[in-house]
Amino acid sequence: MKIVVSVKLVPDTNAAKRIDPGTKRLVRTGLETVLNPFDEYAIEAALQLKEKLGGDTTVTIFTMAPESGKETVRKALAMGADDAVMLTDAGLEGSDVWATSYAMAQALEKTGFDLLIAGGLADDGNSGGVPGALTEYLGVPAITNVRKIEEAGDGKIKTQRETDSGYQVVSGPLPALITVTMAVGEPRYASLKGIMGAKKKTIATMSLPDLDLDRAVGTDGAKTEVLEISAPKVREKARVVEAADGATGAQAIFDFLRERKLV
Amino acid sequence: MQHVIVFVEHKAGQTRKVTYELATEARKIADALGGKAHAVVLGPGSSSLAEQLENYPLDVIHVTDDADVDKYLYDPAIDYLEAVAKSTGPALILLPNTMLGRDVAGRIAARLNAGLNSDVTAFQLEGGKAVSVGPKLQGSTVVASGFKNTEYGVATVRPNAFDAQAGGGSAHIANLEKPAGKAYAVVVENEVEEASGEMGLEEAPVVVSGGRGLGGPDPFTSLLKPLADALGGAVGASRAAADAGWVPYSLQIGQTGKVVSPQLYIAVGISGAIQHKVGMQTSGTIIAVNRDATVPIGEFADLLVVGDLFQIIPELTNMVQGAKAHA
Repeated sequence: MKIVVSVKLVPDTNAAKRIDPGTKRLVRTGLETVLNPFDEYAIEAALQLKEKLGGDTTVTIFTMAPESGKETVRKALAMGADDAVMLTDAGLEGSDVWATSYAMAQALEKTGFDLLIAGGLADDGNSGGVPGALTEYLGVPAITNVRKIEEAGDGKIKTQRETDSGYQVVSGPLPALITVTMAVGEPRYASLKGIMGAKKKTIATMSLPDLDLDRAVGTDGAKTEVLEISAPKVREKARVVEAADGATGAQAIFDFLRERKLV
Repeated sequence: MQHVIVFVEHKAGQTRKVTYELATEARKIADALGGKAHAVVLGPGSSSLAEQLENYPLDVIHVTDDADVDKYLYDPAIDYLEAVAKSTGPALILLPNTMLGRDVAGRIAARLNAGLNSDVTAFQLEGGKAVSVGPKLQGSTVVASGFKNTEYGVATVRPNAFDAQAGGGSAHIANLEKPAGKAYAVVVENEVEEASGEMGLEEAPVVVSGGRGLGGPDPFTSLLKPLADALGGAVGASRAAADAGWVPYSLQIGQTGKVVSPQLYIAVGISGAIQHKVGMQTSGTIIAVNRDATVPIGEFADLLVVGDLFQIIPELTNMVQGAKAHA
């Protein structure tokens, strides 16, 4: 089975972000590029499935990113994926969800897959719209928010799909697209052997001329445009109350709730 | 785009509260664009849900009770929504920014070749256009984003960001015809409920959230649940608590969990690292209880009480219950 994991490279999620008030752009100095944290779970789910199925199952990492993202892709390979495909082209800059998904779908069709796994959300844009749009452009069945892959093979996949209040057992034919939740299991760390091995693994690149696009992508093809960027309302530091005992602490909170008419 | 279409999320005969927020906002946007406000309610029980929606200022409520909507994952819902969008004409489609809303949004945007603006917390309505405003990059920036080169727009809207106001309803209810010639393959074989009454954590007016400081699963039910109940809210958790297996991931609030924006957020034994902050920083009032005075949450909470949560929370629950009894 050929498993492809679609990942996004994002600015370091644990670093505090700051907008330059003059340029209204993100200050990128000192911000590392990392794998979108949700997508690490997608990689983990793919590697677990590969271990379970064995045989000729392979895991390919796919990403649309600038050339400079290569080192971050190596980190995904170090976790245990077999190879990677990068869609890289300056003409993709400024793509929104629509243009991104459209270009990715064309590249993924060329890459080919039995199972395409994606994380649920990207933590910079937070739209969660790309997997759904890919589903449409690829014309494949989709199962979202999968917490467990029960069976996959023989042209069929069966999953447990997380809901707000429990789960559903959902099945469908392969090839298919699934998105996974954090419940699939904590992403593994790359071993030293994995890191060394990743250096020899293939990262193939595709660019726009390799795709059969019949619509514009990048800024020209985007269906949305950023009109204004501003800083969020800054919250003040907390009023701090040291509570020697439970009653004092509770009274401080209760008075505060009263003050704000919340009780 | 001229019209507005609200996608109604519902479960077990209950409409999500965010639907009323969307319906109220849809009217304002439709009036600014010079179009009509529509809603789409799909799946078993929709006819009676549509009646509840009649109190809101919508023009048309499109309805089907088709059981296939629940039986097959999303494909029938997307087909119905597409049919409504095409028959309505150029429109802005509003969905809640929830698990379901996000899934449907990406698909319908692609289906209609539409732009998608996500996690919207305000609309700017000037010059006959609807501009979406919302936080991006973990809340470090606020972005105003418009639509271009498209007849349709799709926006996912953060629950609790808009007011819901009933009244002015005179909607016409239209029954939808089943799209012809479709075959569906992704089957919901079984549905299992694990947590009851926790639906709509994103929509709760009050969230009482627990973290590492709780030390185990029990205080979530013995300590936090009674306080949440007394305040009319829901229980949430930090990633540390979910990773430790103390609560299901569906309760996790943060960057990799749910984003909430209640009137009141009480963080109990949560340090407030960026991971958590992203999920709750737009809450109205934030109160933290922690034994450490130097926790990061002190940088952005309104009140930080430093003390023993195991003593403070039960006392507070008593006080809130007492106040309610006298109200």
